Amino acid sequence: MIAFEHVGKRYGGRFEALAHLNFRVARGEMVFLTGHSGAGKSSLLRLVMRLEKPSRGRVVVAGHDIAQLHASQVPFYRRQIGVVFQDHQLLFDRSIFHNVSLPLEIQGVEPREAARRVRAALDKVGLLHREKALPIELSGGEQQRVGIARAVVNKPALLLADEPTGNLDPQLSADIMALFEDFNRIGTTVMIASHDLALIARLRHRILRLSDGRLVADGGAV
Amino acid sequence: MRSSATPKRRQGAALKTPHKAAVKPAVEKAQAPQRGARSQQTRFSSRLRAWGRHHRSMGWDSFQRLIRYPLGNLLTMLAIAIALVLPAALWLTLDSARLLDAELDESATLTVYLELSADDAQSLRIEEAVNAEPDVLETQLISAEQGMAEFQQSLGLDDALAGLESNPLPISMVVRPESVDPVAMQQLATRLEALAGVDEVRLDLAWVERLRNLAELGRRVALALGVLFGLGVLLVVGNTIRLSVESRRREIEVVMLIGATHAFVRRPFLYSGAWYGLGGGLLALGLLDLGNHWLSLPVSALAASYGASFSLPQLDVTGSTILLSCSTLLGWLGAWLAVTRHLSSIRPR
Repeated sequence: MIAFEHVGKRYGGRFEALAHLNFRVARGEMVFLTGHSGAGKSSLLRLVMRLEKPSRGRVVVAGHDIAQLHASQVPFYRRQIGVVFQDHQLLFDRSIFHNVSLPLEIQGVEPREAARRVRAALDKVGLLHREKALPIELSGGEQQRVGIARAVVNKPALLLADEPTGNLDPQLSADIMALFEDFNRIGTTVMIASHDLALIARLRHRILRLSDGRLVADGGAV
Repeated sequence: MRSSATPKRRQGAALKTPHKAAVKPAVEKAQAPQRGARSQQTRFSSRLRAWGRHHRSMGWDSFQRLIRYPLGNLLTMLAIAIALVLPAALWLTLDSARLLDAELDESATLTVYLELSADDAQSLRIEEAVNAEPDVLETQLISAEQGMAEFQQSLGLDDALAGLESNPLPISMVVRPESVDPVAMQQLATRLEALAGVDEVRLDLAWVERLRNLAELGRRVALALGVLFGLGVLLVVGNTIRLSVESRRREIEVVMLIGATHAFVRRPFLYSGAWYGLGGGLLALGLLDLGNHWLSLPVSALAASYGASFSLPQLDVTGSTILLSCSTLLGWLGAWLAVTRHLSSIRPR
């Protein structure tokens, strides 16, 4: 599903955020990405989202070198990926329902069908009863679940998450991770960046460990 | 996790992504969206419906945003209206000057003075000869007595002229040419002057020309002002839209992160710009009407004092439509420029 081939990323000519990255993530796999802060986890995810292009090497997603995508194709590529952000990236002037339906609105899904899918996604994250609330009225954990609902509402084959449990207590973090595992179980490829080693070690999935932009470990739970 | 098993299964069904058909075909679709649309008529029409739906909802949404902050938006529209009123008023004035211009054409005549010795019979023969010229539309003989009477009247020299023993004026003839083109009139004058019995031909073109040049000057000034103030409207709308792009920056970043195209992001702002333009145009029409009322009384009084009836021109339906379409288009264009310029600077974090 994802293949990094000799990928390097420099910012501003000097600072090397990522170097010599080589790895593959199979379809339907669930992978954790870990490392100290500044190790390049976010940079790696940004490359997969095609927010940036690699300075060297190729990032291949679903068989396509995504650096080759024309700027006008990038939005269509992004619609295929669900992304959960650490800071949720919710719109605070819209209800939970409208936040989750945003990807469907962008894709022009017929409103009745969109409402059905939004409710299914909200139901899945256990927030169906809050659909009319504004994000500000929700707790941090609930906001994160809204972010997850928005990421999965258009049934992406690839789900990315950047520190999805960043600000949550251990119990809520475990709940969120369990949610990701559910999506993985039905065939979604999941890639989660997290520095919560204790938590991800318990989950027994493949872990990619980055240090100073290099892949220093690739394997099962440590 | 709080969610029960039942909804999980339901969502599971909804989320069932066939492993093989996952991203790959979707990415292919991304690379050739047109091809996919052409091959599947239904998908194309559903996309078209979605497109129309988004246009409707954005048109309405941007209208509501307009109403939400009535004062600020009204001020923007007023600025647009003022920028539109000036060139529009000038254009209207010139339009009425064009009516005067037509009257000028009527008065573009040549005056043919016959030799003093010519009597009535000769003058009739000369008139026939003049009428035989191809460019002559009509002629009117003015006897020496008539000429004297007009002269007296226009100069108010009754007493001085009454002292004259004989009428010093020749018989004259007013000739209306077919063409009011200065060159053609000059040629006609030369030909008429060559006729036997004709002493002199006068053509008073200079002031007609002057007036016409003045009107042309005015027209160009109006055009230049129109272009300048049109740019002003672009700037006003552009600046307003720039601020609203800035205030919705986060929203734009988020929707771009989840796959919104530039066109999608641009749409609400384009509608806002068009609404600003339309609102400004309507206000401009109102201002023009107001100005018309305000000026109509002194203008008609002034015209009456010159023995003429002249009323200020009003914008007719066609003119109003043109004004409104122009202002709407300018608003749209200003928004387009502002959003396009700013979108390139907004990159999702």
